[in-house]
Amino acid sequence: MSHTPHHPHHGLAQFEKLSEYLDRELDELTCQDIERHAKNCIACRVCLETLKQTVMLCHSINHDEKPVPPDFAIRLKETIKALCRDKG
Amino acid sequence: MSISQNPRTPNDDDTELIIQINSGRTDLFPELVRRYEQKLYNFGIRMCRDVQDAEDMVQDTFLNVFRYLKDFRFESRFKNWLYRVATRTCLKKKRKSLYAPEEELSLDYFLPGEEAAIPARVPDWAAAPLDQLLNEELGNRLRQAVHELPESYRLVLVLRDMEGFSTSETARILNLSESNIKVRLHRARLFVRQKLTDYFDHEPYTPSSPSWSCPV
Ligand SMILES: [Zn+2]
Repeated sequence: MSHTPHHPHHGLAQFEKLSEYLDRELDELTCQDIERHAKNCIACRVCLETLKQTVMLCHSINHDEKPVPPDFAIRLKETIKALCRDKG
Repeated sequence: MSISQNPRTPNDDDTELIIQINSGRTDLFPELVRRYEQKLYNFGIRMCRDVQDAEDMVQDTFLNVFRYLKDFRFESRFKNWLYRVATRTCLKKKRKSLYAPEEELSLDYFLPGEEAAIPARVPDWAAAPLDQLLNEELGNRLRQAVHELPESYRLVLVLRDMEGFSTSETARILNLSESNIKVRLHRARLFVRQKLTDYFDHEPYTPSSPSWSCPV
């Protein structure tokens, strides 16, 4: 694992575009470039796959929404009611 | 492209309600609150330091919405406008600006160092089905990582990857350029990814085996 010239050779450009790649915000050609590169470059493939999983995990924790705490819900309702009474 | 036949967004379920409220039916305002209080509360606990701050943010946001609803021009979905008000409320409270040159996340930080070992393969956790991977502990780690992000990065990541807004919607909510959103989002994701990588380095995930198995 000595001096494999890994990141110098592809530099920052591809690395910076990985999120846009995952979000399908890149043009076809750039996507193909990235895919071709990741096929042969394990470091970028690892980066891409772990990043993708990170994004999917973020999406999935959004699904378990917490309910509003009951005491706050009551307070909020009262505040809003008073507001509507004053202005209404 | 300019689509300007109708300034009202057609698919917004809130349009009718808002028109009524703005025409004097303020008694219907609680219905608008009911529709969004839970969404906003969950956004609050992702963004704020604690539950108390989240509750304050929700309440202040609705007070601001009540005050400024007349200015809503139906140029976006109401939900987007609501989040715009909410993020302002959030930042104002802390007297912070999104444009302050504070706490930048440099990309260099995330690039593999010269010394870093080049991984031999994609780690198991990255290839695991989400339902097998995601448990309470990991959920907590993930939330914690999001909270450790500098605020402006946290806002972008939460809006894009948790609240589900598009790049252009997020740009409009935060009044930043789309390219700015993309840069911040990527860095925020890399930050969270690094935290997850560290976590799994200590608690390796192996398919269908307990997570405490010893690293080789
Ligand atoms: Zn590479």
